[in-house]
Amino acid sequence: MTENEFIEGLQNRNANAYGKLLDEYQQKVFATCMSFVPNKEDAEDIAQDVFVEVFNSISKFKGNSKLSTWIYRITTNKCLEFIRKRNTKKRFAFLQAITGNDMPLDKTNYFTEMNHPGVILENKEKSETLFFAINQLPDAQKVVFTLHKVDGKSYQEISDIIEKSVSSVESLMFRARKNLQKLLENFYKNEI
Amino acid sequence: METKKNIQDKVDSTFNALDAMEPVNVSPFFKDKTMQVLFAEKDEKQSVWNWFTPKLQLAALVCIVVLNVVAFSKMETASSYDENLSEFAESYGLVASDNDSSILN
Repeated sequence: MTENEFIEGLQNRNANAYGKLLDEYQQKVFATCMSFVPNKEDAEDIAQDVFVEVFNSISKFKGNSKLSTWIYRITTNKCLEFIRKRNTKKRFAFLQAITGNDMPLDKTNYFTEMNHPGVILENKEKSETLFFAINQLPDAQKVVFTLHKVDGKSYQEISDIIEKSVSSVESLMFRARKNLQKLLENFYKNEI
Repeated sequence: METKKNIQDKVDSTFNALDAMEPVNVSPFFKDKTMQVLFAEKDEKQSVWNWFTPKLQLAALVCIVVLNVVAFSKMETASSYDENLSEFAESYGLVASDNDSSILN
């Protein structure tokens, strides 16, 4: 079956085509969701939303990019949407954290309960700190850093997903790393 | 100086924590659950009126409007036709009175 036939099957809402889609992409989509949202239950909910979105929007897929790229784009947007919603709720509850600048990595202010089964125990604290720091980055930097460093995607793949040039991706990655360095330095300074 | 180096070591090891992260498998029933959600939504959408697409709705609306216009204009001509007919009947004395049509006479 060619990709076009497969896409046609998806557009015709063929159950076999969706079975195949899930076999091929459930793990990849879930892994990307886990990279953005380090909580297994939340990541599964988002992954499910991604497939529902694919189901509802496949008729709009014009084949300008690869199907996988399109699915990862939906995944990234769904994750950002989830984080944005949760952060808004948390921000409202922790208004005082905005005025206080002594603890930029306030761990109580994180959008979800950290529950990443892939994090080994000895790295738990460090991984949590890094996830909290990533959450402080602007969206564009957050996406690039997460997709590259946490999810392990190449610059070319990220460039296709976010529809920006590879040099833009490199520049965003550089700025993300610089900002994270600053955030983590401040955090460890305050810890001492 | 020592503290600065210490902090940098901590930052580096924090960045390195990502490399040691193991992949997490999706739960075994994810596919079944998702298929159920997808095709439950599909059934819901395939309601009785699913075939009545916006294009058809517009066409139906146009048909109804045209039919109404035609019917209205026909009604107008029909009433003038009746008037003409009764006028014609009157002028030629073709109007039947109640007495004429009575069988008893």
